[in-house]
Amino acid sequence: MTTRNPIRISPNRPQQTSPSGLKRIVLTAPDTVEMYAQPKPLRTVINPKACYLVIAHSERGTLSDHALQTIAAAAILADAETNVLALILGELTEDLANVVADQVIVMPELDFEHFQPELELANISSLIESIQPTRIFMPDNHTGDGDLGRRLIARQKTKTAATRVVELDLDHVATYQAGGASIAQITLPEIILLAANTVDTHLPFTALAQRSNLATGNQASNNQALASPYQDLGMQTIAATEIALDEADFIVSAGNGVQNVATLESLAHALQASIGASRVAVDDGKFSRDRQIGASGKTVSASAYLAIGISGAVQHLQGIKDCRHVIAINTDASAPMVKRADLSVIGDAEEIMRALITLIAEAKSANLKVAA
Amino acid sequence: MSIKRIAVLVSTGRHPTSGVPRHCRNDSLALTIGIDLSQCKAAKLDVLHAGNANNPALMDYLALGADQINVIPTEPDSDIVESLAERLGDADLILTGSRAENGQDSGLLPYLLAEKLDIPIIANALELKQVGDRLEVLQFFPKGKRRRVAVTLPAIIAIHPLAAAELRFAYVCQQQGKIHSLSAPVGRGQATSIMQWQIQPATRKPNKLKARENLTGHERLLAAITSESKGGTVVNDGNSVEKAQVILSYLREHQLITF
Repeated sequence: MTTRNPIRISPNRPQQTSPSGLKRIVLTAPDTVEMYAQPKPLRTVINPKACYLVIAHSERGTLSDHALQTIAAAAILADAETNVLALILGELTEDLANVVADQVIVMPELDFEHFQPELELANISSLIESIQPTRIFMPDNHTGDGDLGRRLIARQKTKTAATRVVELDLDHVATYQAGGASIAQITLPEIILLAANTVDTHLPFTALAQRSNLATGNQASNNQALASPYQDLGMQTIAATEIALDEADFIVSAGNGVQNVATLESLAHALQASIGASRVAVDDGKFSRDRQIGASGKTVSASAYLAIGISGAVQHLQGIKDCRHVIAINTDASAPMVKRADLSVIGDAEEIMRALITLIAEAKSANLKVAA
Repeated sequence: MSIKRIAVLVSTGRHPTSGVPRHCRNDSLALTIGIDLSQCKAAKLDVLHAGNANNPALMDYLALGADQINVIPTEPDSDIVESLAERLGDADLILTGSRAENGQDSGLLPYLLAEKLDIPIIANALELKQVGDRLEVLQFFPKGKRRRVAVTLPAIIAIHPLAAAELRFAYVCQQQGKIHSLSAPVGRGQATSIMQWQIQPATRKPNKLKARENLTGHERLLAAITSESKGGTVVNDGNSVEKAQVILSYLREHQLITF
């Protein structure tokens, strides 16, 4: 008679610490913590039979969320035999990791700052001619793409198109009609101008995002001066103090942690930013009611939002959900605002603001010396 | 080249809640700017509407200062761009709104018309000014940006809803104005690609497009307990000058400041 040894579990079982700090017992110990964050699979197209083209302008060298959503939409709708090609008009300095396109073409000379629709259309048309995309996706925004997309639709008369698309899948697109009273559906057209926030950018895969020089052949047409009926007389920016808070691009915002309003105002002046405030600061009488940002105040969509002494109540975070870069100055490292912010600096608000004002003044005078 | 004939394209709007037909505010701004410009340049003003001449919304445009509204009758399958282009061939300046409140509301009409007539188009215009033989347009962009563009005439200008024009509503103008129905354009081509939209009342919210994920139970659990960190950096060390320098270099790195 044979005796079977009972399965013994070691009292020193392998364990690991999860990212949230809990100890977890594992039966087969992984070598590293990487088990928790597995890399996403790479989307690869072996035999491309079709091509989706995404066209978007970049803004200060990066793509807006809206443009990234449009690229994500094309990547989601593309099947295993469809190449996703992103054409970025303007510079692209950003890391391409979050651009889920198979190939990326950058045309730095066609940036949004310059109004040159004829040149853009000529370049895009020749690209369309050479790669014959099955569908074209563009973000329907007010920073160049909506305008260019409509020009493209008018130019490409044979292609079906839909604008301000609020819903799309493999079978149909839907848009609001009659001023939002009715919703109209149609089968997926060839040119799609996508409204903002219609796509979830969380994707289970990544893509190569290879820089392609498909367009180098087209650059030749740039040299031939197109007889354009338009002449760009330049972009101008309205002074930050004059524009409404909801339209501002740079906001310096104060909360309970700001004792000295004068320092904040001089910082905002130095950065040429609009001034916002949290509810507490407005209730204290430091700022007028129209400066309040949050659920009961204004919703802002600035590129840069400098939150000074704001803990970040949910209502306030609601008001800044569309802000691209949030920088927090706070004494409390565990405040909700620190979790939201892209950069948090822990320290006394007054001291840091003063140091910032001095540094900005130095940088500006150094710039002036270089220019002189 | 002086502006001799200005055409304003007006559409009918609807009240967002009650659905009552009314003037489209964006087109009214275009009309007001057109009236001011035509008085300034002694140009002929042609207010055009493609649709039904009996629509009560047209009376609003009379009240806003149009002496006469010319209505091009349309049929459901006809191409508005074609019939408008026939009428607009000799216009020096064509004004319209950027967004309709009724119909397809795609914002495409000015572009299609410009392509048909082979003239330039500028959208989201806030101000117009004639300089020499060209028109200077101030274009609206979000985040406090404006752009000045000069364009050769004839051109189509689509006015932005924030254009600074004051609407003047006068009952006496409404009573004196006329609505003139034009004859249906002859030889009009059928719309080449009328897209078959299925229209429903907007009672539901649009569905967001999401990537399909085939995850095992284990992966779903892992996804629930771990979250993709946003990667926000926290700076704890250093004195206030060093901390300020961190902020400044972040702003520089993302090109948010120019100095």
